Amino acid sequence: MPNYNYRGITLSVPDNDSEYKGYFDAAGEGRLVVKKCVDCGLLRGEPGPGCPWCTSINWEWQQVSGKGTIYSYQVVAHTVIPSFRDLTPFAIVLVELDEQRGHPDEHDGLRITGNLVDANFDMEKEENVGIGKRVEVAFQPVEEGFMLPQWRLIDEPDQGFTWSHEAPQG
Amino acid sequence: MAGNPRDKYCIVGVGETEYSRASGRTTRAMGAEAIRNAMNDAGLSPDQVDGMLSYHGGDSTPSTSIQYDLGIRPNFYMDCSGGGSSTEALVGLAIGAIEAGMCDVVAIFRSMNGYSNIRIGGTGARASAPIGGMDLMKRPYGLISAVQQFSYTFTRHMAEYGVKSEDLAAIKVAHSNHASNNPKALMKHRVTVDDVMNSRWIIRPVAHLLDCCLETDNATCVIVTSADRARDLKHKPIYIKGVQGRGTKPGGDFHYQHGPITRVAGHYVGPRVFDLAGVKHEDVDITGCYDAFTYTVMLQFEDYGWCKKGEGKDYVTSGIINLGGKRPNNLSGGHLCEGYTHGMNMVIENVRQLRGTVDDYCPGAAEGDHTYDYSEGGCRQVQDAKISMNMGWGTPAVGSSLIMGNVLS
Repeated sequence: MPNYNYRGITLSVPDNDSEYKGYFDAAGEGRLVVKKCVDCGLLRGEPGPGCPWCTSINWEWQQVSGKGTIYSYQVVAHTVIPSFRDLTPFAIVLVELDEQRGHPDEHDGLRITGNLVDANFDMEKEENVGIGKRVEVAFQPVEEGFMLPQWRLIDEPDQGFTWSHEAPQG
Repeated sequence: MAGNPRDKYCIVGVGETEYSRASGRTTRAMGAEAIRNAMNDAGLSPDQVDGMLSYHGGDSTPSTSIQYDLGIRPNFYMDCSGGGSSTEALVGLAIGAIEAGMCDVVAIFRSMNGYSNIRIGGTGARASAPIGGMDLMKRPYGLISAVQQFSYTFTRHMAEYGVKSEDLAAIKVAHSNHASNNPKALMKHRVTVDDVMNSRWIIRPVAHLLDCCLETDNATCVIVTSADRARDLKHKPIYIKGVQGRGTKPGGDFHYQHGPITRVAGHYVGPRVFDLAGVKHEDVDITGCYDAFTYTVMLQFEDYGWCKKGEGKDYVTSGIINLGGKRPNNLSGGHLCEGYTHGMNMVIENVRQLRGTVDDYCPGAAEGDHTYDYSEGGCRQVQDAKISMNMGWGTPAVGSSLIMGNVLS
């Protein structure tokens, strides 16, 4: 079944989606995976068909630890998606995975988007989001066999560059 | 770079429709009017226009329809998928088509009911449309609109360089002052830093409502031909000194996987366009820097080298970009105040500025008789502007640039 419904949005993941089907198949089993180049061995954060470093089109899925650090973020105060209105303000985070940080270039990393959520998959409080905070993947059940990778704060010291904006009071 | 066409091609006509939020008509009707206005501006008849170029996001009308409405028969046309930064790039493609002998005179147009029909952010019904492919990694998390798509770049920039919301607001203030002297502008009133700060938040920490451009119904057109052909047309030709783009950052759509994330396409486009045009930063009198949001302006000023990386906040608050300043930016009010046109209006404005006949409130504006009194409701013509530079923004990863001048190098 290639279609799933989440917050009124139809997510279409057909069998011939060679980029994202394997990613969501693994997520449905509670595993976070990235693509690994079979030839040069480098991982890539975006599950594309070719290796950005060696052009090889031979790849395999590789499970990663699911831990990382918030690299950048945005807090949505106003959303244009009607079915997300009751969630505002909510944080969307760009998480840099622990694997392959700063390789092969010092600015490179495996970076994945998700919401910052609490133990119940409700949106985390705005004052708790910040660059440098440590997070771990959490798989939010959507439909039978389909889970959405989300991110939760973990009790580890901030890592690298840290910063957060001043959240409005109230 | 082989075959530098510096000064061999010109923009000879510009035109637009009204900027509104309820055009009450089709993109076909608006496109026809904008092209007609540009032809009249140039002094060209339909049989003298034999090229058409447009860009769209599935929200416009093809050249092959509008040609009928104006009696144009193109020897060359192309309707490209595009968006911000396409304007400058299509000026370059028009030069290429003419250089290749495919046509002689090209009308470039953009037509969009960007407020009343198809809005850029994908609001309403489009927000709930089925999604697949790369959107699967963003949309389920509520990441959809343009201000969001670019904001990872600027949150990180604010963090690394200590930018405040007040710094961004200075850009809106400058552009609103310019718009107050533009009868065409959708938002003509001058705003203050406090007005921007007190408008509601859209995305923290990067944008209040007044940091965002104005979704607009409009069509726009610029006409490109050779300097030889330009000689017997109505206006002083505005020479194309150099054009580049759409150029990209490494990674393209997935640029945030590489770095530095705060770097934008101008870092790559800038040196090439300055080299082609044979000008230096200090030679440029006016700029047109794509203001989808106030932060796109600051990012581009830095990466095109108007200031050092991280000093954009000082550049935009220094007065340099204001009318009466050293190098004013977006003199029509740009996307933030005149109207959102996907980049076209900033090129149109610079053409009019270089002609010296900007359509402000001066009674003799059309004849180039300006007061240079920049108070509200007055003049917006920059005195003796000779060189302009446009910096088009598509995404943090995509940009184009165009340098024009009113004298030969």
